Formats: sequence, structure tokens, C-alpha cells
Amino acid sequence: MNRRSITSFRELTGFLKRSTIKKHIAVALGGDKNTLGALARSVNEGFVKATLLGDRKQILSVCDQEKIDPLLFSIYDIAPELAVQEAVRMVKTDEADVLMKGLIGTDKFLKAVMDKENGLLPPKTLMSYVCALEIPKYHKLLFITDPAVIPIPDLEQKIAMTSYAVNMANRFGIARPKVALISGTEKINPALPSTSEYALISKMVDRGQMVDCIIDGPLDIFLACDQDKASIKGVQTPVAGDADILVFPSIEAANSFYKGLMLWAQAELAGLIQGTSKPVIVMSRSESAASKYYCIALSCLMAEGF
Amino acid sequence: MPITKLTQMLDILQGKAKRRMVAAFANDAHTICAAYSAIKIGIIEATLVGDENIIKSICEKHDVPISAFRIVHEPNDVKAANKAVALINQGEGDFLMKGLISSDKYMRAILNKETGLINPGAVLSHVTVIEAPAYSKLLIVGDVAIIPQPDLNQKIAIANYLIKTAHSLGIEKPKLGIQSASEMTMPKLSSSADAAIISKMAQRGQIQGAIVDGPLGLDIMIDPESAEIKGVKSEIKGDTDCILFPNIEAGNTFYKTMTKLGGAELGALVMGARVPAVLSSRGDSELTKLYSIALAALGCN
Repeated sequence: MNRRSITSFRELTGFLKRSTIKKHIAVALGGDKNTLGALARSVNEGFVKATLLGDRKQILSVCDQEKIDPLLFSIYDIAPELAVQEAVRMVKTDEADVLMKGLIGTDKFLKAVMDKENGLLPPKTLMSYVCALEIPKYHKLLFITDPAVIPIPDLEQKIAMTSYAVNMANRFGIARPKVALISGTEKINPALPSTSEYALISKMVDRGQMVDCIIDGPLDIFLACDQDKASIKGVQTPVAGDADILVFPSIEAANSFYKGLMLWAQAELAGLIQGTSKPVIVMSRSESAASKYYCIALSCLMAEGF
Repeated sequence: MPITKLTQMLDILQGKAKRRMVAAFANDAHTICAAYSAIKIGIIEATLVGDENIIKSICEKHDVPISAFRIVHEPNDVKAANKAVALINQGEGDFLMKGLISSDKYMRAILNKETGLINPGAVLSHVTVIEAPAYSKLLIVGDVAIIPQPDLNQKIAIANYLIKTAHSLGIEKPKLGIQSASEMTMPKLSSSADAAIISKMAQRGQIQGAIVDGPLGLDIMIDPESAEIKGVKSEIKGDTDCILFPNIEAGNTFYKTMTKLGGAELGALVMGARVPAVLSSRGDSELTKLYSIALAALGCN
């Protein structure tokens, strides 16, 4: 990718607005106010075309309630119980580029995504989650994994998570992202299996057995993200406080990290399910309108070249 | 200056205060002659614990002046080993050597919790230094003789012994390669996984005094051309000083191949006890015994 890397969500949406990218998003059942608002904004800014699948009357009434112009979207009138399967089919057959969860339970939605015959997850592919965080106090975007899908990743899963995150960072124009494998300290402690796994992963990258990136672990958050602390501690690490990607040892750690940042550090986020053959957006109702908008933007960037 | 030939150990020792060796059950010509050759070149003093009459007759037969030694009479092998260990513990010797006693009994005397030479939790391991005509410097390898299947903690201990031995040979920052079948990391192969863990520990300063990399195949460690052809990015690249083997079969096969087919000479010692211990076997050459004594003398604090 021959352009400067994208270091903020504003740069991301700016890039999409200037580009010729226009991605077709199929939304399984309409959405809440924040979701439809974010979608409408993306359509208005020209990088999204959206189809809402579901009961036409119901969708129109939500739009009316939320004061969103329904003409911004194509509405695909279909019985709600068939909407997800149809939306998945549209994406699978390239009629749409991105699948998005609307007002439907996550379980039902993911079941359709993971369906062996008709879903979007290739056989034997690991499903995971990577999320880009914009933190006012950090000088660039920070990609983290996995805050949402895999509870306690094993070695294979950590390897896959690392690859997904590197792939996403590549899309942002970061050719060789710096990956920090996060723990409580930089020391190897065989009693803490994740630290041993990190040693293996770093060596696998050294030996060219994994995606191309600059990687080190175990590292704590300071060594990963704070250049001053990294030099003070005198630990020799190529990441040295300038991480692009943080790989966490458990869902609790990753989830708490980003929620803490959203709560106290005004962080915004955009995340996507990983492993699917096309981008799949699953947003939680608690996310802000801004995060939802960034999430849509992220899916468009990721859909480019799929 | 790093030593590149075993005989250089003797030169270094000749410039130092003599170390005091205690031989456990020195009832054989092998032990007595090896001790005497070290005494003759002025690198050690020796106490022989064993049957005084037998020792005297061996000395006469081999033209060795009995006055070269201090002799402590103890005709029983186990008692002699315990006596030798006791002499060390009393400060009357700097390192130990095995005589005509089985390795088992000798080790038991060292390992005895109350009267032995081992600190609680210490790992006893065997370090071999090999001089091979086909390699430009010494190879310090382990464990080829004591620990059959070292676990991660034992491997870390072995790594530290190899590094310490390299330092005692004047190699300031030795390169330590951790051997596996390939330089590719294979998580399901414990030798490969442990190697990656140990090399990261070295990066983090949890193992110090060496450049450590692994997993590596033997070819990448000792042959620069192989490393070049395979394009392995390793600081060791065909220039290793130390090799940490994943198990005794690999290590033992290596040193025996080197000596029997590769024309190599060697010296060896046991580390992990409070003092170095020589564990030579009757099959060892005179020169190997002398080098082992020298290595132990160099390894004394």
C-alpha cells in the first residue's frame, strides 16, 4: 500500500471520503437510533450503500421515530425470520460487501454467519475479534485482540489473532506493525503459560514462520506503549513503547483494557469479527454513535480488496 | 583471550595458584597417573583417598613417586568417596575426582543431603568441552551424561553451566545454541518450544553472559555456510561456542561421534555441586583425564 499510514479515525473517514470506495452493507433487520444514524452518515458521506433487510413497515416506523430519512437506504422487504440468512447470502454471493447485525440477537446472527453450508466462515477458520482504538493520549491507533470472542486463546489461537491484527494494521498502511504480546511483566515465567507461548510466537516471527511484523513479548503495557518507561526500564525490545498492536492473553484483560480507556480516557473504538470471508459488523448497543460510524468506516476499508 | 585449544588450559593454570584435588578411591593406575601428570606440569596438588598399600604398589609399578601425593588410607570404596567429600567440606580440597569407584556410588557421595556437596535445589549436570579438528574453536556441550531428559528448569541450569564454563575458558560473551531438529519453531516438539522460551529468557536478562538462540539445527550452529544457504537470521550462524542438547541421547551421540569419528579430544566435569567434580570413565584417554582435571581446576571459584 503506497500511502501514508492512517493514524486516526478522522484520517480513516477522510481517506474513505476522498476515495472512490463505496461498499454495500447488508443490514440484517433495521437498527437502533445510533446504528441507523451512523449508517445514514456513512451513506451521506459517499462511502457506503446500505440495504436494510426486514419488515418494510417496521423499518420505516423506526426511521420515522428516529427521524432518519429512509430514502438513504434500500429496504428489502422480507419476513424478519428470513432476513439474516438472506443478508448472509447477499454478502456470500458478492451482492453486498459487508454484513451488519441489526436488531437481532447476537446468537442468532452469529449462527447464520457460522453456518457450515451457507455462512461466511471458511472451514477450520478461527473466529476472533480485532478492534482499533483511538486514544487521545496515544500518538496513533492501537489495535487490540481479542476483547470479544475467544475467552482464553491457546497458542494456535494467539497466532491467528496476531495474523488478523497485523492484516488489519496493514490495511491502515502500516507495512510492518509493531506487535506487543501483553502480560504483567516482560519476564518469562513458566508458571504463566502465556509468557512461554509469547516466547514461541516471537521466535516463530523471527524465523519467518508467521506474518511479517515486528514482535515482542511478554511485555507489559508500559513497555508496549510508553516510550519513556521503555527506555527507563532498559529492556531491549524492538517494540519499545511504540506498539501498533496489543495481543492480550485473555478476553478479560483485553475487554477491561478497552472499556477502561473508553470510560476514563475518552477512547473511541471500531472493531470487526475476524476470520470471515467478508467483513462482519457486530456492534453492541452500548457503543456510541461515533464508534458505530467508525466501525462502518473500518468495515469499508477492510472490504476493499477482499 | 579465549582459549581455542584444550592444551591452552594448562598454560593458564600454570600461571595460577595450584588447585587442590581430592581423588575418591584412587586405587587404579588411571587415576594415579592422571593426577601425577597434572602435578608434574605444576597445575594441581593431590590427595588420594584409597587403599594405601594398593596405591603404593601402583606407584612403584608406574614409576610414580609416592611423595607427589598426600595419601589418606581408606580401603572401602564408598567410605573413601565419603571421606573425599568430607575433606572438601573441611576445606582441604578445591575439587573432586572419581577413582576406581562406580559412578553411582561416587555421585551418591556428592548428592548426600547431609554429608555431600550439593546445595538444596541445585541441579547436578555434566559439561563436556570438545576440541574437534574440523571446528575452529572449542565446543562446550551438555548434558551428555547425567540428566536423561532435562525439563525446562534443568535446561536453564545446564545453559548457565555451559556459559560459566565458557567464561572460565576466557570466552567473554559465548554464543549458546539450543539444539533441536530444525531452526523452525515447532510448538508440539518440547525441545523446540523450550528452546524458544530459553532464548527469550536470555533476551530478557533472565539468563546472562551469553548470546543465546534456539531452536537451531546443528548445521546452523556450527557451519556458517549452512546458515548462509538456509538464510537463518541468527546471531549464532555457524559460530557457536556452546550447545545445549535437548536430551542425553542427542548429547551423548554427539560427543561420541566427535571423538570416535571426528578425531576430537575432550575434557569434562560435573557442575552444580559446591565444587567441580571430575567424572572420568576408564575408557577415557590419558589426555582426556588430564584435560578434565584442568577443566575442573579452572572451574574452581
